[in-house]
Amino acid sequence: MSAVAVEEVTKQWGETRAVDGVSFTAAAGSLVVLLGPSGCGKSTTLRLIAGLEAASAGRIRIAGRDVTHLPPARRGIAMVFQSYALFPHLTVAENILFGLRVRKVPAAERRRRLAKVAGLLGLERLLERKPAQLSGGQQQRVALGRAIIAEAPVCLMDEPLSNLDAQLRHEMRREIRALQQKLGMTMLYVTHDQSEAMSMADQVILLRGGRIEQDAAPAALYDRPATAFAARFIGTPPMNILRSADAGVLLGIRPEDIVLAERGDVAARIGAIEYLGADSTVTCMLGGETVLARVQGRVGLPAGAAVRLSWPRERVHLFDAATGRRLDDTMSPPPAAAQELGERVAAAAGG
Amino acid sequence: MRRFEPQIQGWLLLLPAAVLLVAFTHYPAVATVWHSFFSTARGGRAAQFIGLDNYRDMMDDPVFWQALRNNAVFALGTIPVSIALALLMALWVNGRILGRGMLRLAFFTPTVLPMIAVANIWLFFYTPGYGLIDQLGSLFGLPEHNWLGNRDTVLGCLIVVTVWKEAGFFMIFYLAALQQISPVLGEAAAVEGAGRWYFFRRVTFPLLMPTTLFVLVNAVINSFRLVDHVVAMTKGGPDNASALLLYYIYDVGFRFWDTGYAAALTVVLLVILAVLALGQFLILERRVHYQ
Amino acid sequence: MRILKTLGAAGCGAALLVASAVSARAVELSFYYPVAVGGPITKIIDSMVADFEKADPGITIKAIYSGTYQETITKALTALKSGEPPHVAVILSTDMFTLIDEDAILPFDELATGPEGKKWLNAFYPAFMANSRTGGKTWGIPFQRSTVVQYWNKEAFKEAGLDPEKPPKTWDEMVAFGKKLTKRDANGHVTQWGLQIPTSGFPYWLFQALATENGAILMNEAGTEVHFDDPKVIGALQFLVDLSKKDGIMPAGITEWGTTPEDFFQRKIAMMWTTTGNLTNVKAKAPFPFGVAQLPAHARPGSPTGGGNFYIFKKTTPEQRQAALKFVEFMTSPERAAEWGIKTGYVAVRPDAWETPAMKEYVASFPAAAVARDQLASAVAEFSTHENQRVTKALNDGLQAALTGTKTPAQAMKDAQREADRILRPYRH
Repeated sequence: MSAVAVEEVTKQWGETRAVDGVSFTAAAGSLVVLLGPSGCGKSTTLRLIAGLEAASAGRIRIAGRDVTHLPPARRGIAMVFQSYALFPHLTVAENILFGLRVRKVPAAERRRRLAKVAGLLGLERLLERKPAQLSGGQQQRVALGRAIIAEAPVCLMDEPLSNLDAQLRHEMRREIRALQQKLGMTMLYVTHDQSEAMSMADQVILLRGGRIEQDAAPAALYDRPATAFAARFIGTPPMNILRSADAGVLLGIRPEDIVLAERGDVAARIGAIEYLGADSTVTCMLGGETVLARVQGRVGLPAGAAVRLSWPRERVHLFDAATGRRLDDTMSPPPAAAQELGERVAAAAGG
Repeated sequence: MRRFEPQIQGWLLLLPAAVLLVAFTHYPAVATVWHSFFSTARGGRAAQFIGLDNYRDMMDDPVFWQALRNNAVFALGTIPVSIALALLMALWVNGRILGRGMLRLAFFTPTVLPMIAVANIWLFFYTPGYGLIDQLGSLFGLPEHNWLGNRDTVLGCLIVVTVWKEAGFFMIFYLAALQQISPVLGEAAAVEGAGRWYFFRRVTFPLLMPTTLFVLVNAVINSFRLVDHVVAMTKGGPDNASALLLYYIYDVGFRFWDTGYAAALTVVLLVILAVLALGQFLILERRVHYQ
Repeated sequence: MRILKTLGAAGCGAALLVASAVSARAVELSFYYPVAVGGPITKIIDSMVADFEKADPGITIKAIYSGTYQETITKALTALKSGEPPHVAVILSTDMFTLIDEDAILPFDELATGPEGKKWLNAFYPAFMANSRTGGKTWGIPFQRSTVVQYWNKEAFKEAGLDPEKPPKTWDEMVAFGKKLTKRDANGHVTQWGLQIPTSGFPYWLFQALATENGAILMNEAGTEVHFDDPKVIGALQFLVDLSKKDGIMPAGITEWGTTPEDFFQRKIAMMWTTTGNLTNVKAKAPFPFGVAQLPAHARPGSPTGGGNFYIFKKTTPEQRQAALKFVEFMTSPERAAEWGIKTGYVAVRPDAWETPAMKEYVASFPAAAVARDQLASAVAEFSTHENQRVTKALNDGLQAALTGTKTPAQAMKDAQREADRILRPYRH
């Protein structure tokens, strides 16, 4: 039995469908990331699961129970908001205990759970402070504390780290993941940051325009993107997508799969080099198209220099130009595509 | 020399405001206290220093005590009701309801009207026999009632008018404060299972405390400051049943021309207001959370 | 071209000369006047002022509407204390003592000198002059003066089986008529009251009529003694209280002066007591035939006079005083007094005004207009003392206390007497 099951859920405001027939399940104890660009419907999906919005169609089950029409408090969830939603007039302790007080949990039990949560999150010395007296990271911990003290089986997180600086974000990522695994919570985590998704998730649900683009483990998402959109959304810099002479097919090759070599399949010219320390991003002009390559360390060539590019055949991804769907089910490209590559080589050499 | 320049500049910048404040607030207040120790000059007789005689007269003045009592009743009648009503209306029109723009406007309209106009509207409502209230009452077979001509009802009538006028004004402040409260707090509370009343009691109301304090101070001041409706509707009658302190000061100062006694009464009013304002700030300030 | 310019310059110079000559002669007077009755009073005042300015181009009058009587004296005294009082004003005749005590006004005897002046000062009804004189001097000239009269609805009289042409002549008749005129519906609620004597704001005035009719005199001529606790005064108050409490012919509590005519038009009351100054207003608005009569008598007939006098303020130059005197003389001349009376309903203040053709014609067409004049024979000076506002308030408070049932009439008047004595003690040398 899955912890959360979303079945054909749609949310419509007038003519616009923010969420359009979305279905997925989250296994108990797993961390599922809802990923996508802004406006893709990921936050709305989360709010539908929380019960903060009512679904226009479809069903939502939590722990096997149909909660589609239940109020948030009766769905067995906890939630962390992007802005933390701390009550500014209450102390840290009162904020964390808010829900327990509502549910009239006895005082002794409250004290016990507060001590545990405060210890878990390192908030012991901040309990009497007001939110305004805390740093962003500390506020984030309080919000987290309020969510986990409820001991709800499912925890929903709406872009919880987006208000933190890069350093802190990195730390919190690991901490949240560790906490989730330690407590065995099922966590639904919304973010637009692919690195958060890749590093934390057991399962990533990539959304676009209110629909699921791909629902897979992080590695599968990277290795076998289901669509051209998924291919470009995951990975930095994004995958190169090239038009082919065969109008029906798009060619995809990740920058990190391209090798700059003396001898290679394709001749190109260096447009620009972006040095990033551990590696460099090289912009290559290939006929009329631009291809990004990610290479280790520093590149010892000037802009304008001629290079040859090569890549392993099995790292080429093919997509249907009309639907954007992945074409191959095998690792090797079809004959037409291979021929295409040869043609490009000839063209580059001639120019 | 250099060292003092910024100081001089600072004082110069402060000067216009300070001059106005002293000329129109501090000097009159001090002069009033000073005048309250003198008899009133009349025709040929000049004002004489009489010490605390004006205050002693006040102790024996039944109208003063009546006005003070009336004012206390008036304040207790207007302040809590108008604030509660303002909050209620603000909560209502803050929600997503049909035609809330119209509602907001309707609630705010009494505030825009001058008190004299309001008083005249209500004068018509209260008219015995063919006034609105009696006409409505007659539909249910109630007898006509002389609302303003009866000692028992006249002050209540003034309280109703004042609440009607003030609640809309205070509502605007509450509405502004409510819009400052992030709706996410409501969602967070909903997830935790807090009902509407619990959320209001534990979150909304505490967060509105700065506004409540502000409104409260204003309401208290207004309850001692508003006399237009007394002038327009009852002239303090019948038999001083609706005389408020400030109206009595006006009577003594500008009808009886007993300026010395009026000054003493004014000092008492100032002291009452100062004590109330100070008390509010000292007691409530501790319980107010400012964001 | 040059000639034209020269001519133009000369023209301008001449114009300047004329202008300065006029301004040297012109006297400008500020004139405060109140409005206390219905009707287009400001328009009437403005047209009379315009007529005066036409008749005497050397004087300009700045007529300033200054609110009610109460607001007018407040404004005038505030202006006095800030050093710029009006030059002339119409203020309640009863505020004479207050104005004297504030050293604000001049006696007319100093301005209207010689046999002409004497004659003018004696041209007015003595009943009105009773509130203009004290200590042998004349401080005010009667202008918008009135007395209390009773109005009755002739239709209501007919319905009640009374003779519509016969108003009550005595208190007993008034009570008896009132009982017949008071109508109740099936639930016992009154739909028409027999009588209304309004008691809001300044109940002392109408009450003074009752006290006078009961044979009492409220104050002495010097304005230093009052007789509120006189049994006759208490008796009059008892009678007033009983009209609603015992006889049930008048609405209980305090009834509003301002809406009393409206109550009358709405047939809520069949008889009302109010100023004769409302006559023109009632004539214009009453939707039924009505009558006007002198007040009913008891021990004697009687009514106080009321209304406003002209006062000239002390802080004026000799030219301004003379100009002000001319203005007052004009406004109270027989023709103007008649015009003012016809247009407003106030009583024309001098006998010769009633001999003018316009007034004769008016009385012939509307005999009610003469009722107030005829009542002057039995009229008394309106209640007025030193510290008038304060003493009057003591009386008003006492009356309202009795009318609202918080005090017995005897207790209310005893308290009022004590308060008035306290206030007036410094004036009894």
